[in-house]
Amino acid sequence: MNIYVCIKQVPDTETKIKLKPDFTWIDTSGIKWVMSPFDEYAVEEALRVKEKNAGSTVIVVSAGPTRVIECIRTALAMGADSGIHIEIPETADNNMTAKALANAMAKKETASVDLVFTGKEAIDDGSAQVSQLLAGFLGLPYVSVVLNVEYGAQSVKCKREIEGGAYEIVETALPAIIATQKGINEPRYATLPNIMKAKKKEIKTYKTSDLGISEGDQKIKFKNFELPPPKQAGKKVSGDPAAQAKELARLLHEEAKVI
Amino acid sequence: MTWQTFVFIPLASLVFGYSFYRFFILYKLMLAHQNIGPSLDQIKARIWTAVTNVLGQKAVLRKKSAGAMHAIIFWGFIIISLGTLEQFVTTIYQTANFEFIGDKAYLVLVFLQDIFTFGVLLAVLYAAYRRYILRPEALGKSKDATIILSFIALLMVAILFTNGFTILAHTPWFQGAMPVALYTSVLLSNLGLSPEMNMDFSVFFKWAHMLIVLGFAVYIPRSKHLHIVAAAPNTFLRTLGRSKPMQSINFENEKITQYGAAKISDLSWKDALDYYSCTECGRCQEVCPAWNTGKPLSPKLLILDLKENLYRNKEKILAKKYAEVSPVIDANVTEDVIWACTTCRACEIACPVFIEQTNKIYDIRRNLVLMESKFPTEVQTVFKNMETNATPWAFSSQDRAKWAEGLNIKTMAEDSNVDFLLWVGCAGSYDERNKKVVRAFVSLLKKAEIKFAILGCEEKCTGDSARRIGNEYLFQTLAKENIEILNKYKVKKIVTTCPHCFNTLKNEYKVFGGNYEVIHHSEYIVELIRSGKIKPSKSIEETITFHDSCYLGRWNNIYEAPRAVLSAIPSARLIEMQSSHDESMCCGAGGGRMWMEEKIGKRVNIARTEQALKTGAGIVASSCPFCMTMLSDGVKAKEMAEKVKVLDIAELLDRSS
Repeated sequence: MNIYVCIKQVPDTETKIKLKPDFTWIDTSGIKWVMSPFDEYAVEEALRVKEKNAGSTVIVVSAGPTRVIECIRTALAMGADSGIHIEIPETADNNMTAKALANAMAKKETASVDLVFTGKEAIDDGSAQVSQLLAGFLGLPYVSVVLNVEYGAQSVKCKREIEGGAYEIVETALPAIIATQKGINEPRYATLPNIMKAKKKEIKTYKTSDLGISEGDQKIKFKNFELPPPKQAGKKVSGDPAAQAKELARLLHEEAKVI
Repeated sequence: MTWQTFVFIPLASLVFGYSFYRFFILYKLMLAHQNIGPSLDQIKARIWTAVTNVLGQKAVLRKKSAGAMHAIIFWGFIIISLGTLEQFVTTIYQTANFEFIGDKAYLVLVFLQDIFTFGVLLAVLYAAYRRYILRPEALGKSKDATIILSFIALLMVAILFTNGFTILAHTPWFQGAMPVALYTSVLLSNLGLSPEMNMDFSVFFKWAHMLIVLGFAVYIPRSKHLHIVAAAPNTFLRTLGRSKPMQSINFENEKITQYGAAKISDLSWKDALDYYSCTECGRCQEVCPAWNTGKPLSPKLLILDLKENLYRNKEKILAKKYAEVSPVIDANVTEDVIWACTTCRACEIACPVFIEQTNKIYDIRRNLVLMESKFPTEVQTVFKNMETNATPWAFSSQDRAKWAEGLNIKTMAEDSNVDFLLWVGCAGSYDERNKKVVRAFVSLLKKAEIKFAILGCEEKCTGDSARRIGNEYLFQTLAKENIEILNKYKVKKIVTTCPHCFNTLKNEYKVFGGNYEVIHHSEYIVELIRSGKIKPSKSIEETITFHDSCYLGRWNNIYEAPRAVLSAIPSARLIEMQSSHDESMCCGAGGGRMWMEEKIGKRVNIARTEQALKTGAGIVASSCPFCMTMLSDGVKAKEMAEKVKVLDIAELLDRSS
């Protein structure tokens, strides 16, 4: 079984995001890069499937500048077998990224797709679109926000989180794309022998031109970036319950402008 | 020559031959271990420590009554063994006694033997009283001990009877030098036996004595009495001095495929010698913060369980079939046992035969972390934080110098021409409570007009917690990065408020090329007071009890400096807890325990806080950020935060000056 895992390298959760002086992108100097935590669950899930199915291979795919190779190595150290790095500008949008990932997987020289894992979203832009677009490009069924998977021979039964604290069980045929949610597993910490081995594992690199990607695949143009306003101190609403409710509604309407 | 010659020679040859064979196997088993042991250096100091601690019984005598009991048995054993040797020789060749050393010397020898025979008998009676009537918990039950005590008692009785009957049989010329034997002979004379019968009984008890000695020779290699052979070399080979860096792993060496100890044979020959040396006295267990708060770890049981594992795998290890050796983690040495250790080192310091428990725990942890990725789940976040942000706390490395905002402190990058580098540490940089401690120390430095600098965002966690938990790889990554920065600025002198940083920078970085003069702030403040740069003038009308940090005290032997700081405060009254200095109880945060949940037994910090509160002191003083956190939490949990303050020595002195 060939299991693909799509991962994204993102700024560490503790990073204080700064903007470029011209506001065209974030200032990436001094950023500590890590694998997006939801993608760690995806890698872990892939490795668990591999461990239960002898002869399986886990291939990690990541699109981005050269630095993302570091992130691929992290996944290889966890136990993935090989990696594919797609050289793409960090300003690439969801569409371009998804298409690049799909085309890399569909390439003749790469292994056929039996199962794909991704995180439910990346923690940097939080768009949660790449894996869905990927499913579209590959023409595969897609289940997101997955908390548990029962693996069958031809199909998978996924427990996914939906609004209102409820769960939904979705069964789909394989191959399929599964996007993992926190709680599906506890990602492993790479052992040292595996970290050493990872240094020698194969990482294939594709350029956008190898994958038939052109500028036209960029559907979003980023114009201007700004930081969210600094957090303000909380406000305490006082008075009797009726007055409190009235004041709260007013604040939500006039100040927060959410209702 | 008599029949005795012909019975004794083959019997003794057989017994000693067998005994020697058993010792040889133990020796071979020891050498079949795979990790490298300590190397032999400082021979003079080693001889001296062996003389004082083996012959002089210094470490044994730290416990007064039990120590005196052991010392008498030990010295008696040496003196009486000379007599036993004479007994053996004269049994083979009757006239070959030791009288050739001269009449006077022989009289002294005989006298000492006689006195010690009686002394040992009394000591054994005390040992039995202690073991069976007083029954200290740490001693536990031991069949070995019962057998050994009975053997020794029988030996002494046999000697007295041999000598008593000999005196009755032919009044030897030296009998005046044997007061106890003489008195025994007076008692025995009541039996009214003929001289021939007395002679026969003398021979009978001589043989009884010799046979028990031969029995000992067979029994020793398989019992806890093995320590009479192993403890002396173990003392000779001990870690000299207090500072002890952990053994480093060379990750460049591709031949190494096993990191840490998965199996007993992955430990070193010195570890085996440690188990051989264990006397099961339980002094380690008595002082263990884990054991005393209901954790499954007892340093004594750990050593005995490892010994049992070694013996269980003996055949495979001797045959070098290492792959078949069973794992070191088993039903006795569980993962909970290994993670319970705070590496406070109280066990090692208490051990009269210098067993080093922490080395084994470190090696077993290394295997769990580096090879098997098995550790308490909460630790993974800590490792990740250290990897990405160089601090165990979940904060950005870009925020490391935020504590210093508005204080006008230069970084080394701005000005490296300073008296010393202030190493802030992660606690001082990120933990709200401990930031105040560093700020107080900075305030003192400013009052004393000292020129210093910090590394700011270039500082990284020293890696202490990672190393003690077993993540040597992460530790070395951080250590090398820190050393590169420190050496870039040609740092010579470092002062720090954290004993963990202190110990790591001082003792653990040398092997990676980091050589610095490292000073803990307690020592530095003492100097500021002595030189008159800081004048504690404001009174603090309070009773203060000082809690010793393990990595300052036991690991680096600094006990007086923090106390000297507190003593310099006018009106402050210092009071000691029931356990302090070398016997001080850990706060519970060492060895990476700071980052682990404590699910088993009573919380260590609560137990220690209770000891502090028992003194009635209004201030609990600490000199370590981890102790600060643990004791503050403890005082809060005991709902005493209103009445009792936990303060760092720097904060107290800052208030006083």
